[in-house]
Order: sequence, then C-alpha cells, then structure tokens
Amino acid sequence: MYRYDDFDRAFVNERVAHYREQTERFLAGKLSDDEFLQLRLRNGLYVQRLAPMLRVAIPYGTLNSTQLRMLAHIARHYDRGYGHLSTRQNVQFNWPELAEVPDILEDLASVEMHAIQTSGNCIRNVTTDEFAAAAADETVDPRPYCELIRQWSTSHPEFDWLPRKFKIAVTGASEDRAATAVHDIGLRVYRNDGEITFDIFVGGGLGRTPVIGALIRKGLPISHLLTYLEAIMRVYNRYGRRDNKYKARIKILVRAMTADGFRDKVDAEWAFLQDGPSTLTGGEIERMEAHFEAPPFATLDAFDLAEQRLQHPQFGRWVLHNVAPHQQAGYAIVTLSTKITGVPPGDVSDEQMDLVADWTDEFSFAELRISHEQNFVLPHVPQSKLFELWQMASANGLGVANKGLLTDMICCPGGDYCSLANAKSIPVAEALQNRFDDYDFLHDLGELDINISGCMNACGHHHVGHIGILGVDKKGAEFYQISLGGHSGHSGIPAALGRIVGPSFARVEVNDVIAKILDVYVEHRADDEGFLNCFNRVGMDPFKERVYATAD
Amino acid sequence: MPQLIKEVDGLWQLCASEEIDRARLDTWQVGAPLYLGADEEPTQEHASAASIALGFPAFNDGRALSSAVLLRTRFAYNGDIRAVGQVHEDILHYMVRCGFTSAEVPDERDVDTALARIKPYSDFYQQSVVQPEPQFTRVTRGTAE
Repeated sequence: MYRYDDFDRAFVNERVAHYREQTERFLAGKLSDDEFLQLRLRNGLYVQRLAPMLRVAIPYGTLNSTQLRMLAHIARHYDRGYGHLSTRQNVQFNWPELAEVPDILEDLASVEMHAIQTSGNCIRNVTTDEFAAAAADETVDPRPYCELIRQWSTSHPEFDWLPRKFKIAVTGASEDRAATAVHDIGLRVYRNDGEITFDIFVGGGLGRTPVIGALIRKGLPISHLLTYLEAIMRVYNRYGRRDNKYKARIKILVRAMTADGFRDKVDAEWAFLQDGPSTLTGGEIERMEAHFEAPPFATLDAFDLAEQRLQHPQFGRWVLHNVAPHQQAGYAIVTLSTKITGVPPGDVSDEQMDLVADWTDEFSFAELRISHEQNFVLPHVPQSKLFELWQMASANGLGVANKGLLTDMICCPGGDYCSLANAKSIPVAEALQNRFDDYDFLHDLGELDINISGCMNACGHHHVGHIGILGVDKKGAEFYQISLGGHSGHSGIPAALGRIVGPSFARVEVNDVIAKILDVYVEHRADDEGFLNCFNRVGMDPFKERVYATAD
Repeated sequence: MPQLIKEVDGLWQLCASEEIDRARLDTWQVGAPLYLGADEEPTQEHASAASIALGFPAFNDGRALSSAVLLRTRFAYNGDIRAVGQVHEDILHYMVRCGFTSAEVPDERDVDTALARIKPYSDFYQQSVVQPEPQFTRVTRGTAE
C-alpha cells in the first residue's frame, strides 16, 4: 500500500498545524461559527446532535494494522471506546472534544493518516472496491489511480470550494463493488491493448434526487486522467448551482445541460487542458503502481475446507457468506461483519480494533480494508488459516455469518447522532435484526440488501437497497418510506434505483411490513430466484397489495 | 474603505487603498479596469484590461478562483487580478495559487492575520498559476520500499 514520502509527511504536518491555528482563532472568538464551520468541515469535523463528530479519511478504504491500532488508541483516549465504520469507507468518532481535535490529527499524522476533505463542499475521499488487489474477478487494481486522484485533489487551488460535496469512486473488477453508477464521478478502469484506460461516468448520486450516472467518456488513456478530471471539475465549479443546496450537486447540472450538452462543455474545456502540466508521466504512473505491489504471497495449493465445514456447521456458513474467492491460489478474502444484533451497524470497540489489527498482522500481511457495507475486510488470508481466524473472530463478536444477508444492513447513524436526520435508523436496524434472527430463514432468503437512511441525504444508500428504508418526518413524528428493487450494481447486475411502495409507515409497523414483503417474495420466487430478479419479474403490485391490505 | 493587500516584488503587504473606477461587463471598453462578478464569463478581450477585480459574493464561493485561472492561463492576462467582496484570510492561499495579485480585505477582518495566511504550506501536490509544474514532475517522489 501507499507509504508517505517526505513531501506527503510535511504536507500533512502543515495541515495539522494550520488546523490547530484555525481552531485557536475560533476559540479566541476571531472566527464566526459559520466561518469556522467551513474550515472544520474540510478537516472532517461536524458538530452533531450531541457532540462533535470527527471523520477520519481511510483513503479508498485501505489501511494497515499500525493505523488501525492508532484508531483504537483514539477511540480509547479521546472518545468513549468505540468508532464507527462509515458507508464511505471512513472511520468516524462520535465524542471528541473540539479543542482536542488538533491533537487527534497529530496522532493520525504520525501513522500517515489525516481527516482532510472528509466533509465540506470539496472533493471527498476517493472510494473503491473493498476487494481491490484480491478479488478473483478483478482486471486492474484501482488503488494506484485512487492515490493519484487523492494527491491531485488534496487542497486543489481551484476545486476546494465547490457548489457541493463531490464524490469519486473507482472500480477495476467485473462486479462493481464500488457503486460507481451512483457517484458524482464513477471511473471504470481496465486494460486496452495493455494500457490502463478509463470509462468515465458523471452525475450519478443518491440523496433527494437519485440518478444513475451517464457515460461521458469511453476509453480515456491513463495519461489524460487528471486533465480530464480538471475539465469536469472546472465546468462544475463554474456552472453548478449555488443558490439552493438541494440542487447543487453535479447531477442537477448534468440533467439541466443534458449528458450530451455536459460532455460537449467538458470536451471544449479539455481541448485547452489536454497534454497540460497535469498529464501523467510514465514515471509517475509506474512509481504509484510500485507502491501497490502484491504482498509476498506463498505458493500454496487450494486448501480443502470440506472436513472443517462438515464438523463445524457454523464455520461452514461463515465460509459460505463471508469468504470470497481470491486471485491468488490458496488465499481467500474474509469479511468480518460488524452487524451484530444490539450493536449499531458499523460500530466497533477499541478492543475489537486492536484484535483485528493483530489478526491482520498474523493472517493478511498487515493490510485490511473497510467496506462501504461497514464491515472489516482482511484481503489476503491463507485458506488454511480460515478456521483459526473464524474461531478468534467468533469469540470476539466479529464472526457472524451474515455478509450479504438481511441482517448485514447498511445503516447511517441516523437521529441518534446526526443533526440532519428526520428519524432514527439504528433502532430500526436493531428491531429487524431481532425479528429475523433465524439463520436458516435468512440463508433461505439469500442475498438481500436492506439499506436504511435517516433522511434524504441517503448516507445509508437506501435508494440502492433491494429494500430501502428512508426516515421521514410527518408532522413531527418519525415515519419510514419503503422502496423496493434498488441495486448498487454489484454481482454483475446493472445499478437501479428503488421504487417507493406507497405511503410511509410508523416505526412500530416497519417490522411487519418487511415481513410481508419477504412473504410475497418467498411465495412468488421461482426456484432459487433472488429477491431482485423476483421483484423485477412480478413487479410492485403484489408487494403493494400485501403491505396495504386491510385486516379482515 | 477595505484594506488593500498586494503582492509587491513577491511579498504581500498592506498598501494605501486605491479608488479605481471599474466598469461592469455591460459598459466596459477595451483597456479599462474591469469588474467581473462570479457568474460572469472571462474572455480573451478582457486581457486588455488595465486591471481586473473578481467578486466573491460569499467567502466559500469558488467561482472566481476558476475565473482567475482562466484569465492567467488561457488568456495570458498579465495585469493585476484583485479579490473583492467577501475576502476571507483562509481562502487567500487558494487565491494566490489561482493568480490573484491583490485583495481587498474587509474592514472587519484582521489584516495581519490575512497577511500571515498567504502561505500556510511550503508546497502543494498540483501545479497552479504560480507553480506551473506538479510535484511529480519537479521532484523525485518517494518510491515503494
């Protein structure tokens, strides 16, 4: 993975000093709340319902065991002993003291981490496939290009004060685990005659106006990546709406100009920027790719897990759901689920972080990932060590066999923490986990994405859940709108936005409504047809009829 | 009168305020000092202006940053580009890198703080108007261990 050089280190240290000075000016009354808001957001600090929340950048979701131990230390020392894995592959702390944040940033900098541009109207942390450089279906490891984009977008002179936040996602595999279709810019990277090449999608997004991104450039060679991004950013910075924050995302601009009109504008801009100073040199591309060379894999034969699975059915289930095929023979990708009933999805304790760091050292070349499904991923585990790892994970609440199943929900912090939320989301997730706790039933349902957001900002990605749950405010009461048929674009199925079933429900009704939806699915499915295919085949009507049927 | 800071021989300093009669786009004539709002389009013709002021309607509105870059890099404008309006000390380092050479700091803001915030970083990753090459073509960056 990427290691800082002297320049990176100096920059991050200067950033910490700069932020410390801004905090001191604010505490001395020299910056207004509104002014400091803009400055602290660019360093990941929100002021939430109960306390500040600090969002630490995990660039493209990749970190090492030393960095995870530092996060454990921060949870213990500055917070209440836990942290939260976010839906954008970052880590959040819910209880830091505003005045201590510069100290936290200094601790982070000591292990090559920061909180730069994790919020605010700027280019955010670039996200990618949590199985990057490990997945069997990968054609190109996207991380070197994510790092090139990270460096280019850090404190960019022209593009740090945009109309609205800006999210870029990159995928290099046939399964789009990075949800590139619903990002401001989605990049799909592949090789064309040996050359790294990008297809560029623009204007996707969730939030109030969910949109699937439009392809505006096919087959862009790597050398032009940054100049082309500059052209997109300049068009957005100049013409994106600034009068209404709900209409300020690039998707609204792309829609207003039409995708063709937007492409023409970008191409006209790019005509001036093409071959300019940001053009990537072969040397820089090679330097970055070298940072991401594969770990020293052993030559292993495939390990037969049949015996262990037979003897330990729970291990068998875990292998079935939480272990994915690796591109290297004898290795596997492990997802450690944080979705344990009674614990808010994504929350992990300092002890768990320390343990995961130990397991990462022992089993996965000291490298791990955070997935947008809010789980830990150990990308390079020898198959022969899976049983040992599962035993330890199970003993520490991280061995639940539910990846991809109903109980592996994506869930934003919601009204318990977030000042934007209309409704709580964590208790909804917990109630569902309590209701649907029978493994055989869950396994029989198969892969099912339930995504929960506490408001239209859609941090819980509800539009792309097979079942989406959105908290809405109805005259001061918490209600929940249910949508069906959404998909983030993984498993080779094109991304789709869910359709709303109908009028929203009170929180006490949600469990029953979901149960009815599942009943309809089970009754209508053909053979092993998944929820999404079944929904697409039979349509909304049978679901709608059942959930709104009045009792006789 | 706002406090005028300017780059003089590479150093930003407080200067005597200036009364400049700037034309808006609709009445501007070639060669005259020009004011461009954040939503107004810079063009090649504007490169003849004696000086150009770019307006910041809000301190966190980044449109004038793009306008300055266009004037410098596309239209090769060599005159003074001045930031006016909601000029904030924490945005100055972006302004400098986008080609601004002077700024009117509002009266209520502390001009010493502003002058001290011109260069909070010794260097950046990207190229800019004042540093035409990105880090990776100027310096031998670190390689993997």
